[in-house]
This record gives sequence, structure tokens and C-alpha cells, in this order.
Amino acid sequence: MVSENLVKDVVSEPYKYGFVTDIETEKISKGLNEDTIRLISEKKEEPEYLLNFRLNAFRKWQKMEEPNWADLGYKKINYQDIIYYSAPKQKEKISSLDEVDPKLLETFDKLGIPLTEQKKLTNVAVDAVFDSVSIATTFRKELAEHGVIFCSISEAVKDHSNLIEKYLGSVVPANDNYFAALNSAVFSDGSFVYIPKGVKCPMDLSSYFRINSGDSGQFERTLIIAEESSSVSYLEGCTAPMFDTNTLHAAVVELITLDDASIKYSTVQNWYAGNEEGVGGIFNFVTKRGKCLGKRSKISWSQVETGSAITWKYPSCILLGEESVGEFYSVALTNNLQQADTGTKMIHIGPRTKSTIVSKGISAGNSINSYRGLVKMGSKASGSRNYSQCDSMLIGDQAAANTFPYIQSQQPNSEIEHEASTCRISEDQLFYLQSRGIEFEEAVSMMVSGFCRDVFNQLPMEFAAEADKLLALKLEGSVG
Amino acid sequence: MQIIEEIKNNELISNPSEIQKICLDKLKLNPLPNIKSEYWRLSNKSKFSRFLDHSNKNKESKINLPYKKASENIIRLIIGENNSINLEEENYSIKELREIEVVDFIKKNISNVNPNDHWSDLLNHCLSSKENILGLNISGNKIPPLEIFSASSPDSLNAKTLILFFEKNSKVDLLQINQGNENSSLSQSTYFCLEENTSVNHGVVSYGESKSNLLNSLNVMQKAQSEYSLASLHFKLNYARFEISINQLDGNAKTNIKGIQITKNNDQIATYTQMKFNGPNGFLNQINKSLADGKSHAVFEGSIIVPKIAQKTDASQLSRNILLSRHAKIDTKPQLEIIADDVKCKHGATISQLNEEEIFYMRSRGLTLAEASKLQLSSYIQEIISSIPISKDRWDLLDKILK
Repeated sequence: MVSENLVKDVVSEPYKYGFVTDIETEKISKGLNEDTIRLISEKKEEPEYLLNFRLNAFRKWQKMEEPNWADLGYKKINYQDIIYYSAPKQKEKISSLDEVDPKLLETFDKLGIPLTEQKKLTNVAVDAVFDSVSIATTFRKELAEHGVIFCSISEAVKDHSNLIEKYLGSVVPANDNYFAALNSAVFSDGSFVYIPKGVKCPMDLSSYFRINSGDSGQFERTLIIAEESSSVSYLEGCTAPMFDTNTLHAAVVELITLDDASIKYSTVQNWYAGNEEGVGGIFNFVTKRGKCLGKRSKISWSQVETGSAITWKYPSCILLGEESVGEFYSVALTNNLQQADTGTKMIHIGPRTKSTIVSKGISAGNSINSYRGLVKMGSKASGSRNYSQCDSMLIGDQAAANTFPYIQSQQPNSEIEHEASTCRISEDQLFYLQSRGIEFEEAVSMMVSGFCRDVFNQLPMEFAAEADKLLALKLEGSVG
Repeated sequence: MQIIEEIKNNELISNPSEIQKICLDKLKLNPLPNIKSEYWRLSNKSKFSRFLDHSNKNKESKINLPYKKASENIIRLIIGENNSINLEEENYSIKELREIEVVDFIKKNISNVNPNDHWSDLLNHCLSSKENILGLNISGNKIPPLEIFSASSPDSLNAKTLILFFEKNSKVDLLQINQGNENSSLSQSTYFCLEENTSVNHGVVSYGESKSNLLNSLNVMQKAQSEYSLASLHFKLNYARFEISINQLDGNAKTNIKGIQITKNNDQIATYTQMKFNGPNGFLNQINKSLADGKSHAVFEGSIIVPKIAQKTDASQLSRNILLSRHAKIDTKPQLEIIADDVKCKHGATISQLNEEEIFYMRSRGLTLAEASKLQLSSYIQEIISSIPISKDRWDLLDKILK
């Protein structure tokens, strides 16, 4: 079938963020033991409670087994062969962006991240994380005027220690799962956001993660706290250079919303996915979870997952507060030998809580794309509702699309609805569009874009454009 | 878990046959159930262990036939009660399989099964003696309705096996009744092999007395152009597990599955279905319903597997569940695993309570709350049990359930 092959060609687009920045870095030696953790903690001049948190997590991690239930086929990871701390060498303290190594700025410039002054007009505050360290955060003064704290987690440990001590690990405990425990033990940096009571964050906040070094893992931690009646929209982007080896990325994201607060967390994940033979690429094992503590609070996850050799990620909501709302909108595109096992958990505990799940999976090549999600109604979640929709699109007859929804209810006065379907880009549809004068390539792009529309509509403006571009990039190029 | 201990210590069977030996070895390597295995099945180990708490005394099972044989035309068989059958009529024939055929079939089947998925079959073959295996070869298209009974005896664990070969072009209505006695466990394994162009309308009704446990496994192999329809009902069982595995060997076949499980008190009834399409143009329409009351727990897990070869498959699966009590629990997990791209596959699941608007409507017409609820429940159950191949005047199932 001619058109089928063309569709396959269209989805294979080379990775354009695969360059390496040649920069002097400070690395510690490979391997993981208590001394490594003490060294990381020392380098970051951390207080004792944090060191204990790390050591406690490490001891728990040692007793845990790497999960194998997702049936992801990958070579066993040698955790002693990873560098757990790597940072670009720079002056002790940066007072302005002018002092950041120009090579770093250039890197982020190439990636399209507005770090430099002239690009600040975009009105998005950015925290840029390069390997293990946050190198710059923009718009801090402007945000501080509104009482918003946006900084790297290392700075927050120093300046807002009480908040860190109170909330770190409160949503994802150190022993939550294998990769969360590993992250809790060795996390290097990440972003911290605090929105005070009654404040609507004046601009979108964003963090950008860049892995540069091939043999170091990236373990960042993000913590966002939205106080009563506050709201924030947070964006996250990721890229990495092309290496033949697999790099481990095990992050933890914790969100907390109090009464009437809302957090919108959007991700465009475009880590290097490995080459066509499946060599190299990032192992993306991430734990993301939000806790709707307050009444009428809301957490909304939206994600566009296009990269990584393996994605293992379930952004979840624990709906504790009365009438709290959880949302999950996801597009996952896999190609070649990529594997994605992603979905969400909506745990309804409080009464009259609501959740919506919309997941779109597109699998091409020899990839495996699985949706795995849990919806749970606790016995006190009276009057709660959930609606889930999981659609898969298959391109070619070698790719797999799986759906594994887990639905559990202990509350008769609640409603759960789940539906899933599978389809492909049919020749009829392609023929119809082409007969209207639309190029083949554009027709495929239009159909994929239409398939993902429900999710793209939920992305913030800045990201919607990027996501569209990203999918278009993966879908355009080789034909025409 | 007496049985597990006996397996581990080689005390289960004193003089095992060849098949029993193979199964025992496989079971020993795979000492299920454990907490993890049951957790993944959304079940719980302590409830499962109730099933295994009895010893395999192989006592004569006692059956209380639930209704009289309505007409002489019906063929009624009870597994384990030496009622040998050999019918050769003008339009049909029903012949008992020879022992060697049975042994060969079981051996072939267990040699390459995944011991995790077919744990209950392995246990069944370990425990069921020669007398408790019924094998039949059925052919013809004017076969009178068949009724096959299987029962456990009080205070023990019984294992029964049923193997049916349906020859080409045969057409049959078959009702299978599994009856649990007080304080007992029944392991029932059933194999159906459908040749080309056969049509089997299969009903399964399983129920028990107090503390009845059931492990019911059904394996169906369908050749091209065959049609298999199943309607099942499980109720009044302390612990029950219904494992359905259907394989469309060459595709081009039709499968319809309807099932309902009704749990009360502290019951747990679980249905696991696995549907494999090994050829193109397969069709599946499945609906599974649960009704949970008291402190009971109902589980449904259904997986549909569509490999590359199974192009143009059309499969749909629906899980509908009603929770009647605040202490009851329903878990459902409909799964799709798809590689072929030119397919129509969908599934849906809902968990809710009785529809308030409908109840309000009926009450506004003068029905009491109890009557309205009963009426709604009847219609919910009726959708499934109306497909069970038994007439209402032979056995009023709805009446039996609602009582």
C-alpha cells in the first residue's frame, strides 16, 4: 500500500535538538552510595533535615526492586555507572544574566528558550536547568512584586527552608516507588514555585530542562504550592543531545493546591528518542503527582510526549478537598522503537470531586504506546464523577497500541465512565482530502492534528504553538 | 491453603497419572496464589485461599437438580455420575471420547500453556480423576438441547472436567450448570473445540449454597466460520472466579459474550476474559455486568489481543456495573492490546448506581421505591439472562435471583 508507506515516511523526522554544548563541567565520579549523597548535599550546602531526607530515601531505595509490571523491554540499568552530579562550571554567584557563560546562553538560544534580555518580551518567566543545575531564572523581580516565589529548588532550600521542609515529599513520599526514591536520594535541582494567597500569577512560569552530558543522569525535582484562591500556569520543556548510550531521567514533580486554588501544568517532552535502531535515547521515568488539598481546588495536567526511548509517567491527582477537580490531557506520539507507558491516576477521596481524562496515543514504526490509568472512588467520594476517553491511532501494522484502564469504585453515589477506541488514518479520508487539493503531507498532518485537538485546546497559547510545531515537525519533511 | 501445602509436600495424590504428574510439576514451579499475583488480578489472597481450604477427598458429589426435565427431548448429563452416552441418530450423533483421546487432548493443551494464566486448569487436571472427566464428540445440526451439570459435595473440593468437540456444520444449544454445595469448592474446567461452520449457543449458570467456592475455567478454540455465543450468570457464591479464554484460531469467526455476576454479603465474584484473534476478520461483541450489594466485591478484567495478522477485526467490549451498597466494591479493567492497524476496536466501562430519574418516573406512576428498584434491576439482569438457552417455564432464573 503506497499511502501507508508514505505515512510512515512522514512521521520520521530527524531530531533537531541533538547537539552537544562543549562546556567545562564539574562532575563527581560515577557510582551511588551514601558518600555520593553526602557529597551532593554538601556541594549544595543543604541543611541537615534535607540530608536526612536523602539518606532515608536512599536506604529505602536499596531495599526496593525495580518495577517490571509495565513490560517495558530495556537493558538493565547499572545504577553504579551513572554520574549523579554534573554542573557547568561558573562563578560562585550570578547576579545578572550577563555573567552566565555565553555558551550556555547560546545553547538555550538555539533551543528557542528566551533567557536573554531581548527575548524577555515574550512574558514567560523561565527557569533553565542544565544537567544538574539551574543556571538562570528570569523575571524574578517582577514576580517578587506580586509575592510570587519562582527560583531553583536549591535556592529555595536556602531562602525558604520552612516551605521546603513542610511540603517536600508530602505528595510523593520518599518511598513512593523505585524511581521516586532514587530521585529523593540524589535530586540535584529543579524549580520551586510559591503563589501566595489570592494571587493570580501575572505571567506563565516555565522551566526548561536540558541534559547535556551523556553519562550523567538527570534527577530534578519540582515543587509548586498554590495558596488559597491563587492560580498559576506552569510550562515544562525538555531536550537532550544524541548519544549512543541511554541516559536516565528520573524526576519528581509535586503540586499542592489549597482552597479555591488552581495549577495548570503543561509539558512538552522532547527528549532524544534514540535512533531508528533504538540505540541511545533517554529513559524517562517520572513521578508527577498533585494533591488537591483545598475545597474547590483544581489541578490540570496537559502533556505532549514525543521524545524519550522509554517513557514511564503517570501524572496523577489526589482529590482530597470537597468539589476539587482533576484533569489530564495527553498526546503521546511514538515512532521507531520508542516505548511509552503513560496515563494518569485520579484518586477521588473527597465528596463531589470531578475528574476528566482525555488521552490520545499515536503509534508508528515498531513502537509501543500504552495508556495505563487508574480511576478510584473512595468510600467518602459521594457525588463524584469521572469521565475518561482514550483514543489510539495506529500508523503501520508494526506498532502496538494498548489500553489498560483500572477502574475501582467503593461509592454507589458516584459515576465513572470510560471509553476507548482505536483507529488509523484511513485511505478513504486521505483520498477525500487529497481530492480537495490538499497535499498528502498536509492531509496526514491535518488528520493527526484533528485527532489531538481536544488536548491541544487545553495547552496554553505559547505551548499550543510549540506542540503543533513539534507534531508537524515529526509529521512533515520527507514527502513533497 | 491445604491444597497448596499438599502440592508442595508431594502429598496431594498418592499415585499420580502422567497428566497429573506434569501438572503437579508445573504447579510446584509456580506456587500461586500469592499476594502479588492476586493484587494484579484486583482480587485478594485471603478470599482466594477460602477456595483452597478444603481437602480433595473426591467424595461423591451430590446434586440437587434445580428443576425437572421438561421433556424427554432434552439430553441431561451429570459429570461424575457414570452416565455413559453414545447416541447415533439420523440428524445428529453424540459420542463419548475414548480415554486416550481425552488424555492426548489434555496433554497437548497443557504442554504449552502459560502456567500463570492457566493455573486453575493445571489444578483441575491434578485433582480430577478419570470418572470426573466427561469428553464428548458432537455433530449434526438438529441436536436436542443439552444440559450438563457439575456439582461439589459438602465440606470438600471437587474437580470436574468437560471436553466437547463440535464437528463441522454442527449447531447446538447447551446449558452448563455448576452447583456448589454447602461449605465446598468446585473446580470446573471446560474445553470447547469448534470446527468450521459450527454454531454453539452456550449458557453457564453457577450458583451455590452458603460458603460455596468456584473456580470456573472455560477455554474455547474457534475455527473459521464458527459462531460461539456465551451467556453466563454467577450468583450466590462466596468466592468465584470465572476465567474465559477464547481463541479465534484462524480469524473469520464470530464471538458473542454476555455475562452477569451478582454479589451480596461478603462474596467476591470475578470474571477474567481473554480474547485472542489469530486471523483476520474476527468479530467480538462482549458485555459484562456486575451488581454488588452488601460488603461484596465484583471484579471484571477483560483483555482483547489483536496481533498483526488479525486485520479487519471488529471487537467491542462493554463493562457495566451497578453498586448497590456503600460497603460494596467494584473493580473493572477492560484492556486492549492492538498491533494490526486496520481494525475497529473499542471498549467502555461505567460504574454507577440505579438511575434516579427512572426510579422517580416509576414512583410518580404509583410504584413504591422497592417495586421501582426491583423493576429496574430485573431489566438490568434480564438483558443478559434472556440470552441463556433455557426457557422461562423450565427454570425461572430471574425469579430465583430476585428472591
